[in-house]
Amino acid sequence: MKKLAAVYGGSAPHHRALNEPKYRRWLSGLIYLPDLPGADLDGFDGLLIPERLHRGKLDEAAGSVLAYLDRGGTVLVFSGGEHPPVWLPGLKWEHRPTNFWWWLEPGADLGLVCHNPDHSLFGYIELDDATWHYHGLLHPPEGAETLIALRDEGALLYIDRVSTPGTLLVTTLDPLYHFGSYFMPATERFLDGFLPWVVRELL
Amino acid sequence: MKPTRSPSGSSSPSKSARIAMLDTGLGTMPHMKYDFIRERVESLDMYELPEAELSPYVALMITGNVDQELLYRERKRIQDFLDSGKVLVFSGHLSREWLPGAGTFVPKEIRSFQDYEIHKAKDHPIFEGVETKDLTFRRGVAGFFARGHNPPPEGVEVILTLPGGEPVVYVDRRSTRGVIFVSACYDLLGFGLDRLYSDDAPETTASLIAPQLLAWIEKETS
Repeated sequence: MKKLAAVYGGSAPHHRALNEPKYRRWLSGLIYLPDLPGADLDGFDGLLIPERLHRGKLDEAAGSVLAYLDRGGTVLVFSGGEHPPVWLPGLKWEHRPTNFWWWLEPGADLGLVCHNPDHSLFGYIELDDATWHYHGLLHPPEGAETLIALRDEGALLYIDRVSTPGTLLVTTLDPLYHFGSYFMPATERFLDGFLPWVVRELL
Repeated sequence: MKPTRSPSGSSSPSKSARIAMLDTGLGTMPHMKYDFIRERVESLDMYELPEAELSPYVALMITGNVDQELLYRERKRIQDFLDSGKVLVFSGHLSREWLPGAGTFVPKEIRSFQDYEIHKAKDHPIFEGVETKDLTFRRGVAGFFARGHNPPPEGVEVILTLPGGEPVVYVDRRSTRGVIFVSACYDLLGFGLDRLYSDDAPETTASLIAPQLLAWIEKETS
């Protein structure tokens, strides 16, 4: 099995999401955020950086995360309302207010679309499993692959294999925070499919 | 509105009752947009806690995104702060044993939105005038306030409960010489301040919580 490490920020939502047995089995290691700058990442095929991490501490690890990408590593970055790390190559993020009540209106639609339904990710999750709310829009660099988008606007999840020798997945979906907070059931369906997809298909 | 001082709280406040709120590093703390909060609350980066001088503060406010591995390492300092007669307000789910007397979060099994219904077990000045429907629902969505509880020790004052009687807000005056206020809500100071995030947010009586929480801290520590 390919080795995926996750960064653990010490919060209760992270504690639950990353230690839940059905998710922990896909993780070969947890790296406590303050230890990230000095961590040896070469033993891992991928690094998952969850949403809602202390920005100052994450910025201290920028050099080692970028070096890992330069060595061909895979990095997955989530954002839950906070600006994704500005030092990520190719990143363009735009704030959008969060609408968490959109589904109360009958027939309402959050506006998520996928342009390539044959992508391996959609063998593991359906678009519905990614639909709770989103925290901002991404404008991916040219050549990146957008998997989940907001209709006519921008990306919510993309994979960039052009900006670095490695693979960078960026998303403004925040499933770890919500699953870890016992809130928003779609986030559990998302993680049930997403983590095995990362380990089996992406890495 | 123009801030009267830096949201980082680097200048000295005018009030003697200084309250520190641990900043979990997600960017500027939106609470500080409000003058009445900025005048009383200073943000303190959570990773500065081990070296920070806590004696000038009468209260420490901690929210649900805090690094509890850090708080576990600093639990003696937190106990000492409380034993000097101070107030600690924790909002969130406890995942480590750093808060005197409290157990780690127990989630509630949710079968319908009614399982999220908040009840007042007794009147408390922080929730005076706050309707329970405004705790149960936020913009029509139930569950923001509590989805389980942090188990309290014996003999605490239970303020709010879930339908099964689970204590989601309590005050503990017995575990230390200070006062511990625990809420299972992610950020009690920010709850009800929806206009922090959106100008068109509807009026809610939950907006009374923030000023009443600060007033209660001031009364407890005066």
